[in-house]
Amino acid sequence: MQAALAPRRPVAWRLLDAAEAAAGFLWPPRFAAATRFLLLAPGFLLVFVLVVGLVWVAGFSLHELDTATYRLRPEYTFANYAHILGKPVYLRIIARSVAAAFIVTAVAVALAFPYAYVMVRTPSAALRKLLLISLFLPFFIGQVVRAYGWLIVLGQQGVLNTGLGWLGLGPFSMIASYGAVIVGLVQFMLPFAVLLIAPAVTAIPEEIELASEGLGADWVRTFLHVTLPMARPGLIAASVVVFTLTVTDYAMPEILGGGTTDFIANAIYDAYFQISDAGLGSALSIVLVALGSVLVALIFAWMGSGTLAFVREGER
Amino acid sequence: MRLPGKRGVLWAVVAFNLLCLALPTAIVLVASFTAGNYIRFPPDGFSLRWYQRLLERTEFQDAFLRSVWVAVICTLVSIPSGTLAALAMARYRFRRLRALQVYFLLPFTIPLIVSGIGMMLLFGEIGILGRLWPVGIAACIINLPFMIWAVSASVNALDPDLENAAANCGAPPLQAFLTVTLPAVMPGVITGALLMFVLAFNEFIVSLLLTDARTVTLPVLIYNSIRSIITPDLAAVSVVYILVAGIAIWLLDRLVGLDVFLKSK
Repeated sequence: MQAALAPRRPVAWRLLDAAEAAAGFLWPPRFAAATRFLLLAPGFLLVFVLVVGLVWVAGFSLHELDTATYRLRPEYTFANYAHILGKPVYLRIIARSVAAAFIVTAVAVALAFPYAYVMVRTPSAALRKLLLISLFLPFFIGQVVRAYGWLIVLGQQGVLNTGLGWLGLGPFSMIASYGAVIVGLVQFMLPFAVLLIAPAVTAIPEEIELASEGLGADWVRTFLHVTLPMARPGLIAASVVVFTLTVTDYAMPEILGGGTTDFIANAIYDAYFQISDAGLGSALSIVLVALGSVLVALIFAWMGSGTLAFVREGER
Repeated sequence: MRLPGKRGVLWAVVAFNLLCLALPTAIVLVASFTAGNYIRFPPDGFSLRWYQRLLERTEFQDAFLRSVWVAVICTLVSIPSGTLAALAMARYRFRRLRALQVYFLLPFTIPLIVSGIGMMLLFGEIGILGRLWPVGIAACIINLPFMIWAVSASVNALDPDLENAAANCGAPPLQAFLTVTLPAVMPGVITGALLMFVLAFNEFIVSLLLTDARTVTLPVLIYNSIRSIITPDLAAVSVVYILVAGIAIWLLDRLVGLDVFLKSK
């Protein structure tokens, strides 16, 4: 009788209690100090795959290809690196990639900042949504499809040449050029840049800009001396991401460059799969990693990690 | 000298951006409906024949299904691993937090082509190269920072006192996690999961290195087809991507609201 009178506990509670007991058995409270490592473990192991792969590539880069057997020789050597530094073609490819990264970063960040600014500051919710959707639609459409779109826009019978034809100009051959690759890359990077700049603009109180203008500064001075400096964390994050993504890009130079404007990634792919020299390809990979890391480390050391950090340090 | 108006300058740049962002998508959409055999402008009439042809070409359908599978694996693996890593970094003290942050940014700082080649060598060595599920894992690894970011943004906004209050009221750890922490970070998890799905569905360069003719994914198949000749059927395939992107944006807006990307941390 007693048992029947006692209120029955809901099934969900009992399930939760069972799960709690199981968790307590598998991970007893005395392990509590190590819980943070348990939570971190799955993600840590996933990223560790990349570390192992990178070590592997670094190992390959120290072995020279034996052209008689098409296998890597067992001896350790820096011959692959000497080969890269001694060949003007590779230095040209490196210079081309780095130059493109500077151009694309400058153009994309310059275009993205006003977009992010209007998106954050506009009082119209409808306009904000339009700007957000226009940003996310291309962001969610991959590089290959977008490059294909640019092929149709810039091609011999493309939209641009047709339009110019009506004006009595052209046709111009725009595909397979450095310019086409830059255009494709800028468009690809715009959403990244805007999304990294926007939170930094949100963090600027509008009153500060009003105060600046109230004190007699015109909008250009307010912009240069108040808004831009205060948006620095976003500008840093956007520059770092756009720069590293551009300098390492493969698809745009391959599809829009038509084999004439190889970047480092294209040279790596060709070394592996066309001349089948895994040693040379690996050495080029390590050069690319070093180039990217050094530049990012310099920017971080100089200006901090901006909005890129997952958690802001020294805040808790 | 009189300054040009602020509104005018801002609007000119925004309008240029909008044109630039929309142009390739709009053009692909228009080109896919052409009745002609080649893509040119203005298109030769309207027809759905390229979509019809798509239904006949099983290689594109197979590649589409493989891409969906890769994206599903990527999303399912990234949800627990990314969420827990974000929670750990935001909630617990680590002596080397800075080093940890740098470590978890490695998928971004190691160039994709190098990550891809590294995984190609590693997967080849342990004998899983040529299967489809490792491609999903690879997509998860290279995009993991997106998941961690999305969740971190929610965790940083959650007041730790709420969890303390739950514990104080007698909730054991798992219950506090499931009923207080998880619901609070759910917007971040949903945002991250959608991002991971879409990014894996679009993933190109790593898939190019990890797939062969039997496991080719849709972006790689489109890329291989671009190189031979440009026909409108590719435009029709590309419209699949526009549709998927549209659905993802709609979901993101319904479930979380696109404005979350404008919040400052």
